[in-house]
Amino acid sequence: MTPFEVKDCALLARMSGLPPALNLRELRERIAVCGENVLFHHFCETTLRGTFDNPDYRNDFAVWSKLYLGDRVLAERLGILDPYDFPSLAELRAATLEVLDERLSEQAMIPWARPGDEFFFREATTVVFSAGIRISHPSGFAAAIRNMTVGSVYYHFLEARRRHPFGKDDFTAWLLENENGGKNRPYIDALASIDFYFHTLADLQKELVKVLSDLEETK
Amino acid sequence: MSSSLGAYEGIVGPAVLRQLRQLGEKLAGTRVVHVNSTREGGGVAEILEWMTPIMRELGLNASWEVIDGNARFFEITKAIHNGLQGASVAIPVKGWKTWEDVNARNFRRLRPILEEADIVFIHDPQPAHLLSLCTRRKGKWIWRAHIDISHPFHPVWKSLRPVVEGFDASIFSMAEFAQPLRHPQFLVPPSIDPLSEKNRDLDPAEVEAVRAEYGLDPSRPLLVQISRYDRFKDPVGVVAAYRMVRKVAPVQLVLAGGGATDDPEGKAVLEDVLEAADKDPDIHVLLLPPDSHKTVNALQRLATIILQKSTKEGFGLTVTEGMWKGKPVIGGDVGGIRLQVVNHHTGFLVNTPEGAAHRIRYLLHHRDSIDRMGTTARDFVRENFLLTRHIREYLTLMLVTLRNTQGNVVEV
Repeated sequence: MTPFEVKDCALLARMSGLPPALNLRELRERIAVCGENVLFHHFCETTLRGTFDNPDYRNDFAVWSKLYLGDRVLAERLGILDPYDFPSLAELRAATLEVLDERLSEQAMIPWARPGDEFFFREATTVVFSAGIRISHPSGFAAAIRNMTVGSVYYHFLEARRRHPFGKDDFTAWLLENENGGKNRPYIDALASIDFYFHTLADLQKELVKVLSDLEETK
Repeated sequence: MSSSLGAYEGIVGPAVLRQLRQLGEKLAGTRVVHVNSTREGGGVAEILEWMTPIMRELGLNASWEVIDGNARFFEITKAIHNGLQGASVAIPVKGWKTWEDVNARNFRRLRPILEEADIVFIHDPQPAHLLSLCTRRKGKWIWRAHIDISHPFHPVWKSLRPVVEGFDASIFSMAEFAQPLRHPQFLVPPSIDPLSEKNRDLDPAEVEAVRAEYGLDPSRPLLVQISRYDRFKDPVGVVAAYRMVRKVAPVQLVLAGGGATDDPEGKAVLEDVLEAADKDPDIHVLLLPPDSHKTVNALQRLATIILQKSTKEGFGLTVTEGMWKGKPVIGGDVGGIRLQVVNHHTGFLVNTPEGAAHRIRYLLHHRDSIDRMGTTARDFVRENFLLTRHIREYLTLMLVTLRNTQGNVVEV
């Protein structure tokens, strides 16, 4: 069995170069043309960014719609979009635009943010490096995850879904690759039971540790 | 005196330190030079005071250089600073010439280290002209803007922009502070050092000694604003808010700030504040020496509510510091204060002295909110705004810049 090598990652955010959006129509126009990296950042990488708030929604577009456009209907519709449900970022973009177009068609007046509250389009580079930790058996996952950074949790459990095998976290992919006569199935099922997108990374880490620890205790 | 990295383990946990050491290994031996214009006073010097030794501890060959300047130079750079933050200022051609000349004089001294550096961080506009002078540079040069330049006074930005665009990249604290530029603009919020003299836990006796030193009444609520005497910090507005509250509640006010060697306006603003205070015994206007970190720490811990009623602000590290002491903050609805203070969650954002007075009165009537907001505020600072996060982002930035990587995910 090849050991699971734990990696860590650090995010470096930068301006995307797109002009900021001051109203709903501008938000729609920018999302239609922004790079996929921008879309990914605002839907997926927000969880790695420092914040002083626990926003209601996990993507920046929904948060901005609520806080600065004052459009709670739009915020709810954007907030439920789970980027990991979409096979590609192109499809996520199409779904986002569909929500925005629907909302624009319902509005007699385009909602505006006040100056200073524009939506700023960002993107990021994720630097990945070895954490210097190896896991050699599934029973070691709970303890290893407890001692990881949230960067490792993000890289292996969320960002992994963008990589091959598409839609799978790294832990599950490793368990599948090293199938041990079906003995890994409980771990795979435990990981699949987590509604991961709506957690903060710290909460996700706790949840991962909990489901995997519970599994060890029931053995 | 800064602490070694291991000392932070009890606050941030071992995994965070392991992460920094892994990143540091990738940059071992990298020659890094930070340049700013003051060794003490102000947030930039405080950041560099801990950042430089920690970079060294992580294996980088880091140094911190300070440019020297005369009074005229600092008047000009203060005007540039104010102009970048939107104030209408007149900088004559010979003022820009002074800026260039002082940079040139400093360059003669710093030339060897700047030419050999792998990466140079130029902090704020004061030393920015060094780039144009260092024609034989080998490394990457990054301009670090610590202030909000989202709405600069056009004539000032017109002169400075070509200088800034010569850098390989720039860093802003928030997206809201940036200007469109032709090079990558990274976003790195600042942070505080939880073990510094200004932020470390204090013994109750140390706190009480400061209370006694300034004659503060322990039985009455205390409002505290810590910041240099700068018009953008609106200390006169704070006095006005205090007077509105004082009619109905027996509050005391401390305005405490040091002077920075690169801030010649402070004296005039201090005089305005003293005039506004009008010898009220419950208004304590303190001009603190630059090394009064423990006093500032104690005053923040003594505060019932921290104020930072700025009308223009960079990130506002005094807000982060106040939150680290577990206090709610009533802050101006500007700059980085907006990022840190969330209404009813970690404090309140206000736009006027009246708004500040209203929220002070609200909190004094809802004492349970003071404790709840303070606890929330401290937790957020621990997770996101301590120096460990800050240093990680600098290390990441150096890896990305030095390897000239364009990808969205880079394995190192």
